[in-house]
Formats: sequence, C-alpha cells, structure tokens
Amino acid sequence: MSQIKRIVLDVLKPHEPTNLEVASAIGDIRDVEGVNLSLYEVDQQTENVKITVEGTDVDYDLVLQTIENLGGVVHSVDEIIAGKKIVEEEETLHDRG
Amino acid sequence: MSFNIEEGRYIILGSIDGLLATLGIIMGVSVVGASNAIIVSAAFGGAIALALTNGLGSYLAESTIEHGKLAMAEKSLLRKLNNTYVESQSRRKIARDAVSSGGASFIGSLIPLAPWIFSVGSVVASVGLSLISLVALGIYSAYISRQSYAISVVKMVGLGALIVIAVQLLRIGHLVQ
Repeated sequence: MSQIKRIVLDVLKPHEPTNLEVASAIGDIRDVEGVNLSLYEVDQQTENVKITVEGTDVDYDLVLQTIENLGGVVHSVDEIIAGKKIVEEEETLHDRG
Repeated sequence: MSFNIEEGRYIILGSIDGLLATLGIIMGVSVVGASNAIIVSAAFGGAIALALTNGLGSYLAESTIEHGKLAMAEKSLLRKLNNTYVESQSRRKIARDAVSSGGASFIGSLIPLAPWIFSVGSVVASVGLSLISLVALGIYSAYISRQSYAISVVKMVGLGALIVIAVQLLRIGHLVQ
C-alpha cells in the first residue's frame, strides 16, 4: 500500500482534553510531521474540529486510535493524499459553476 | 504558578472543617476538666472520623458529578468513553479531590490539637493557633479567588470566632448546671 501523506478529518470531540492537547498528541505519532487543528463549531458539550495531519507515512489507524482515546469521534475523512508526492485537488469546470 | 481551583475548594473546605470541629471538641471536652490524654484521644478520634468522612464524602460527590459529566458528553458524542484518556482524567480528579479534602481535614485537625500532643495543654494556645491558620487560609482563599485579602481574612477569622463563641456559650451552660 502506498504511503499516506495527508489526511483531513472532521472530528467531534468533548471540550476536555483541549484542542492543544489533541493536536499535540497527534503530533507525537511517529512519521507525523505536522498537524493543523481548526475549530469551526462549539456546542455546550462538544466541539467540531477539522484536523489535518501531514507526514511521510501517516498511520491512519494510530491517528484514529489517538483521537478515540482522547474522547473524539471521526465523523468523516474529508481528504486523503497518498503516494510518492502530494497532489493537490484541481479545480474543474464544475467547481467554477 | 498554575493553581487548580477545584482542589483549592476542597483544601479550604477540609481545612476549615478539621480545624474548627477539632477546636470545638477540644473546648467542649476541656470544660469537664478532662485530662490531656482524654482530650488528645477525643480530638484525634474526631480528626480521623472527619478526615474519613470528608474524603469519602468528596469521593462520592465528585464521582456523581464526574460520571454525570461523562454521561452528558457520551450522549452528545454518541459513544461510550470507557477506557479513554477522558475517563482516566475523570478518575484521577475524583481521587485527587478526595485526598485533598480528607488530607486537608486531617492536617487542619492537627493544628488545634498540637499543644495537647506536646503536653502544653492550653485551650488559649489551640484557639491562637487555629486563628493564625484561619488567617493563612484567608490569604490562600483570597489568592485563589483574586478577591480582597483583608475581607477574606476577616471572613475566615470571623467564622473561627463564631465557633469559639458558640462553644464558650456551651461552656457557660455547663457551668450553670
């Protein structure tokens, strides 16, 4: 299987542990080179965050396990980039419309 | 320096409880002219009982609250949080608060008891040490709450004075009989 370079996840998590702790825990996973965690919705008990994980060979199962251990739930995997190089999404005519 | 406000609550609560309840026991028992050994024994028994009830009481109260919080989070997340970091943090908090409450209560109890343990045997010394400790607790309380030091100290010492007056009234009642 080819190596995963980037994963973008939509995650629902409790307020505790904080986003700082979650990002830091994911950043500690082996072969992860960087993490971006953006908060986009806050409720009374939970918050929705978008987590972007980049690395040389990101282990999705380990990322999932870390998020679940911190009380989070992965709602969807919004983007995956795998292979030898990072390929960005191309804009098509459909997107322009 | 980071401060855990939740723990501060149990330290204040436990200390006041241990300090003033033990002072009450000492003043009450000394009325009947009890010996040093009897006073130490009665107050120490009270200190142990208070530490256990405060510790267990905090454990039960915190367990209820923490499990309630977890249940609410589980409902929102649509998943169980068993064996997660969140649950382990919750368990740690329950234990920490129980130990803070019981420990503070026991340490607080030893303060008015100290003159009797060292055979100085003076109610005045017990009251004096208790009031000094209440001043320290008032300063600690003001530091946590970021409120006025003077008001906090006056509140704490006022509470102590109220207990001393109440027990003194009991003493007068006893002498009248």
